[in-house]
Amino acid sequence: METKSIKNRLQILFLLLPGILLFTVFTVYPIGKLLQMSFFRGGYGAVDGGFAGWQNYREVLTDPTFQTSFVNTLVYTLITVPTQMAIGLLVAVLIHSIPRFQVGFRVVYYLPVITSWVIVSLVFKYIFNTEGLLNYFLWQVVHLTGGNVAWLDSRWGGLTIAMLLGIWKGVGWNMVVFLAALQSVPKELYESAAIDGCGAAQKFFYITLPSIRSTILFALVMLTIGGFNVFTSIKMITDGKPMHQTETVLTWMYYKGFSEGSFGYAAALSFIVAMVLVFLAVLQFRAMKDRTEEGRG
Amino acid sequence: MGRRVGWGKGLVYLFLILGGAVSVLPMVYMISTSLRPNGALYEYPPRFFPAPGSVTAENYGYIFQQQKFYWNFLNSLAVSALTVLLAAAVATALAFCIARFRFPGRAFLFGLVIGTMIIPGTTLIIPQFRLASFLHMTNSLWGLIPFYVAWVIPFSTFMIKGFIEGIPRDFDEAIYMDGGSVFTVFHTIAVPLASPAVASVSIFNFLTAWEEYPWALTVLNDSAKRTLPIAIAGFFGEHQFTQWGYVFAMSVSSLVPVLIVFICFQKYFVTGLQAGGIKG
Amino acid sequence: MKRSKKILAFALAAALMLTALTACKGQTSESSPSSEAAQKNSQSAQSTAPKKTVTLNFWHHYSAQSPENETLMKVLIPKFEEENPEYKINATSYEWAKLHDKILVSANGGTLPDVARLDIAWVPEFQKLDLLVPLDREMSDFGQASGALLESAMSTADVGGSYYGLALNTNTKILFYNKAALQKAEISAPKTMEEFVAAVKKLSGKNDKGQQIWGLNEPALAGWNVLPYIWSMGGEITNEDYTKATGYLNGPKTVQAIHMLANLYKDGAMTGFNSGDIPMTDGFGTGRYGMLLEGPWKIAEMKGSYPDFSYGTADMPAGEGGSHSVLGGEDIGVFRSADKEGAWKFAKFMTGEFAQEEMAKCGLIPVNKTALDSQTVKDASFAPFLNAIVNAKARPPVASWSEIDNELTTAMTSIVKDGADAQKTLDSLAAKVDALLAKK
Repeated sequence: METKSIKNRLQILFLLLPGILLFTVFTVYPIGKLLQMSFFRGGYGAVDGGFAGWQNYREVLTDPTFQTSFVNTLVYTLITVPTQMAIGLLVAVLIHSIPRFQVGFRVVYYLPVITSWVIVSLVFKYIFNTEGLLNYFLWQVVHLTGGNVAWLDSRWGGLTIAMLLGIWKGVGWNMVVFLAALQSVPKELYESAAIDGCGAAQKFFYITLPSIRSTILFALVMLTIGGFNVFTSIKMITDGKPMHQTETVLTWMYYKGFSEGSFGYAAALSFIVAMVLVFLAVLQFRAMKDRTEEGRG
Repeated sequence: MGRRVGWGKGLVYLFLILGGAVSVLPMVYMISTSLRPNGALYEYPPRFFPAPGSVTAENYGYIFQQQKFYWNFLNSLAVSALTVLLAAAVATALAFCIARFRFPGRAFLFGLVIGTMIIPGTTLIIPQFRLASFLHMTNSLWGLIPFYVAWVIPFSTFMIKGFIEGIPRDFDEAIYMDGGSVFTVFHTIAVPLASPAVASVSIFNFLTAWEEYPWALTVLNDSAKRTLPIAIAGFFGEHQFTQWGYVFAMSVSSLVPVLIVFICFQKYFVTGLQAGGIKG
Repeated sequence: MKRSKKILAFALAAALMLTALTACKGQTSESSPSSEAAQKNSQSAQSTAPKKTVTLNFWHHYSAQSPENETLMKVLIPKFEEENPEYKINATSYEWAKLHDKILVSANGGTLPDVARLDIAWVPEFQKLDLLVPLDREMSDFGQASGALLESAMSTADVGGSYYGLALNTNTKILFYNKAALQKAEISAPKTMEEFVAAVKKLSGKNDKGQQIWGLNEPALAGWNVLPYIWSMGGEITNEDYTKATGYLNGPKTVQAIHMLANLYKDGAMTGFNSGDIPMTDGFGTGRYGMLLEGPWKIAEMKGSYPDFSYGTADMPAGEGGSHSVLGGEDIGVFRSADKEGAWKFAKFMTGEFAQEEMAKCGLIPVNKTALDSQTVKDASFAPFLNAIVNAKARPPVASWSEIDNELTTAMTSIVKDGADAQKTLDSLAAKVDALLAKK
């Protein structure tokens, strides 16, 4: 293939080294350390307390607050991911079809994505304030509610704010990703379909969707990981309140680790979440693969 | 037929405009709140736009008078810029080698890099904090950058690698024929041709570093060293004061550079993603 | 090629900027000494300037936008640095709860500050983790420094016979009420618990705009909030030497007090601890909350945000147990990993007459005896607080108080907000607290 002289080999090594070094020291080592910590009793007083075996894992899995946080995270992901993908795809298809103003619309829809989580969380918190704008609108303007809804004071109220925020913020990302994918679908496919007499809906389901399959899978995997990673929005909007009912797995981990000092617990929690994500990713890959094979057959 | 097409397109535009309004509404509300005096925040009934005549720039005045704000802004800027540059250099080098050469451990390295994306970054804060303390990197901006770079390497490498694989190997071959080295190929072929992917990835990295919250919160102490997200969240007092006006004035101010970066480079988003790893 | 040159230039600029940023901070601690200082005679008050200035890290929880913080940054620290040119103070403000966590995290990472303003409730906890310096044993002039301060306040820094801090502030909570609202309801400031409950109910309802108003605001349901009611109504939470909670925390009078609070909440007469509730000061100043139980800082806050609002103050209403509010305050502590000499100097400064008097102007009750006699304190309306402090009780000074407080808050919330059975919840809470007290 290429000349593999000593000089070239050294150069390859040189190019690889900084990345490998940075990555190993600042990512791989902490992962290993985290794994180790999950098997020890850690705390503020006794940092490297005794060996705890699987105790931390057991404690996490039987902790009702963890279970609550897990359910919250799961619901969050299950609701926000498909919704933002669907809306994002719809917007992408629409933008793809119009002859003008594409750039303008792209910018407008992408704005929420580039706004920091801290800022948008605070904006949504303000809007959803018990005596805030949204409640006023729902109650006094469109008369959909009978009084002020205390969004921030209940588990599902708080989660709803976070979910709406997640969807609102994610649509733009999906739009961009799907737009890119749509633009790479060969026009000839659509043209020959039109000749065969296909309508818009049929074109969408039989040409567009299959062609962007890999993009859908990519978005699905990334967004699922992102859904489980939800942290800043919850921290800013509810901070787990009321009474840790709106915690998600990561905010709960942060609380246990930093406010309580239960490092072992927090580490075990992290790996449990990682395992779940691996499982979900594998599931998603399998699901997509099967369908592709069906399509071929 | 013609009229139906007209109606159809009209509906599409209408839908897009409505959706666009929803996208932008919260931000407009934020700007409008930032232009109100703090006392007007509990007015009843709440208004979307400030009452005519009560528009004021006093919140911005307060923010800009705080010396800390400029430090926070510069901190965020320096950290984000350095993270982007470092990450671009390192990820491109990494992606190039993985894409172009077979070497022992290649599959393992790539698998490891991608695989770590599964581990939620926030969970690594605890061991990373121990590491940072050990290396005496706490309470310093240098405690942020290497971690941010390591954080973004997987995704960046993935995208750039995908892009490089789309560059024909003939270019490389030509250089080698002429007696060029790996370095030559790297800086005459890979870097220039992969630049759309690098640019688009760099924009993501900039945004990531600019708005990162949990790690900066843990590592930084001094108010003068804080980055913007920490400063904005820090404005949130306890139950006694909620000075939304200041919070939003600061938020709007911190969004301006992001907007500039975005509008200038927005065309790279689509092209970069397109040719990037999505197909892979 | 042009692009790569641009990138290179940009990189260099960014790197230079970053180095400049970090270097600028470094400058403050590495300024060269002035030659004149070396020529000065070493007097008793001034030491010869050493070669390098030392930066002392001071962590506190004076709210970032408060007059206290302004005074600290603009008056106190410059004065200290002027009197002690070899030191520079690097002060960082944290929100109260975050400061507690930050100290714990930093203890772990070895990045503790030199000196910090600590809530008195934290002192036993940090002492147990061996973070604080026993000042009476290690500082030769401890007796002199502490002798100038109120004994009752100093006792909060006493853990197991040694003192782990100097008292910095003392405070308690008294009743604040909306004068106009009380007048309109034709009631006077409540003196007994019965009058109090009646007043709270009478002040609740709707205002002219149709918005809901509450007679009482309690911003949280932690010990700091519920204890005044429990104690005043004759209840207790532990026995005298803080070793047992069962029989006290779930005793009949305690249950009665909690029932009172729960009923008030149920009737819509009290709120404030929910995330979505109107913030206390804003609510009080806009007439949404009729009464509060708050400390001296509230006076400064109201003056700052709602200067035209007319309110009155009164003692904690007396119940069967008398009128007992909760004793609060802060101590200033020196950490083991600190530059002890410098940190101690700063601690002495902050508890000295000048600093204490300046902070008194912001509503912080001094513990320095001389400052307490000053005209400033006499002008500031501290009298009602000082009287209440005499009868105020301290929260259990045990190392596990933070944990106990968390459990207490959870229990209180489930009773008040979720309507759980008070007796049963308090029974299981008492058992948990017993275990935590045993850990001590």
